[in-house]
Amino acid sequence: MNQKANRWFFLWRHLNKLRWVVLSLVFTMLVALPFVYVYQTYVAAHAYDLLAPDEKRLYDLVETLTAPLTDDPAEDLDAIKGNTWSGTFWGLQLTDPLAVVGQMAAALEVWWPLVLTALIPVLLTVLFGRFYCGWICPATFLYELNTNLAVWLRRLGLRTGRRRFDRRIKYLVLGLGLVLSAATGAVLVAAIYPPAIIGREIFYAVALGGFGAGSVFFVITLLFDLLVARRGFCRYLCPGGALYSLLGRYRLLRIQRIVENCNDCAKCNAVCEFGLDPLRDGFGQECNNCTACMAVCPTEAMTFRIRFRDQPDQGPGHLGRLYRKQQGGGREAA
Amino acid sequence: MQRRTFIQSLAAAAAASVAGPGTAARRRPSLRYLRPPGALNEADFVSRCIRCGQCGEICPNRCISYFGLENGLTSLDTPYIIPREKGCILCMKCGEVCPTDAIRPIPRTAEDILAGVRMGRAHVDKRLCLSYQGKTCGVCYRACPLQDVAIRVGLLEQPHVTEQCVGCGLCERSCIQMPQAIRIIPDYG
Repeated sequence: MNQKANRWFFLWRHLNKLRWVVLSLVFTMLVALPFVYVYQTYVAAHAYDLLAPDEKRLYDLVETLTAPLTDDPAEDLDAIKGNTWSGTFWGLQLTDPLAVVGQMAAALEVWWPLVLTALIPVLLTVLFGRFYCGWICPATFLYELNTNLAVWLRRLGLRTGRRRFDRRIKYLVLGLGLVLSAATGAVLVAAIYPPAIIGREIFYAVALGGFGAGSVFFVITLLFDLLVARRGFCRYLCPGGALYSLLGRYRLLRIQRIVENCNDCAKCNAVCEFGLDPLRDGFGQECNNCTACMAVCPTEAMTFRIRFRDQPDQGPGHLGRLYRKQQGGGREAA
Repeated sequence: MQRRTFIQSLAAAAAASVAGPGTAARRRPSLRYLRPPGALNEADFVSRCIRCGQCGEICPNRCISYFGLENGLTSLDTPYIIPREKGCILCMKCGEVCPTDAIRPIPRTAEDILAGVRMGRAHVDKRLCLSYQGKTCGVCYRACPLQDVAIRVGLLEQPHVTEQCVGCGLCERSCIQMPQAIRIIPDYG
């Protein structure tokens, strides 16, 4: 029983909680921004007396919350606009790489100002892999809650989806989406990409009076995840996930298994939302560094490594029964 | 745009079966809408816009809405303005925030707006207009942000729309006739 030291594991096992905090914050931002916008329009209209009682309540609430930050809400609260698909943060524009690629396909030309806005996300993806899918995507927030719902339903004895498909389908979806965007001259990938849909649907619902067409699509993906395949849309169909996976193929930061500490309990495989195989070192380009496997590992066998490639399969964990059986003869002799 | 036509003809069969028979920027003839001020022509606008919704999120007048599927799949989630419901106040914030310049940034000065904005042009129906019926009105003239440039008034406040009209729709919004006697004829470029 000689465990290898995993010095920072006490930090890493809590990263999953931090990830949930980040996901919740991003989602909260997407919900709060439309309300802030509505408040701004009330301010711009200079018509407090003409507001309905519930509109006045909203006005008072947002005013109380933002009063310490600004005395010119009509202008200053413009600091954060947009959503995770494309947003403006204090003048810094950030755009999802899929938006850039989709726009290139639709217009058949490269619009450099837009490409530059995707530079930071692309660089982060090259370094950290598909981290967007696990740490920021507002759809992930709902999809993971959906997974929890599936677990509860299963406890009640109901059947939920456990099918598996070829995870390369999503690259096909990405390619097909881009080809159709080029053929129709419209950015069609925006219509089938849940994080883009969620950002604008929340805005439609809050500020423009109702959900739009995209919410139907999103509900269908939720049902697909629930009834057909766990986290199926992200694993098998998401065009943005496909693009992020390609960008993150040679990512620097990787979660890797320390074979000396592993006891083959397979909790990491059970908890992995993307259906990867951490137990046999099967991370690949799909891993989004969500750290769920780290949080669940009982023997501190997961760690971050700075590498361009995954370790090859290291065989059974040294604390496991299988390894001892393999080594059994040798150890007795020594 | 040459490559566009080429690829369209190439993928016409495939696109027709999946996305309907439409090509870029098809419009329903029954739908009359404006694009936000400074928008590119319809085909370029649809291909440039990434549907991020920031234009609507910054519009202080809440005049920008978004298409569902009523104008075809290619228009899905693109911004539009129905001037009778709410006109554009030409604050030009949407062009400032647009990440793709599908709505071009235009400074908020009368010269730049007159030179750069072409959402449409107002058209007066003289049979409906009160001023042309001998009842002095002049509401559209007073609503116009470019008074005496885009719209002039004659005897009995009869409105005359000039070539300079940018089509913001505030006159159509303000018209007290039902149905409105002044309408924006959209200019999709």
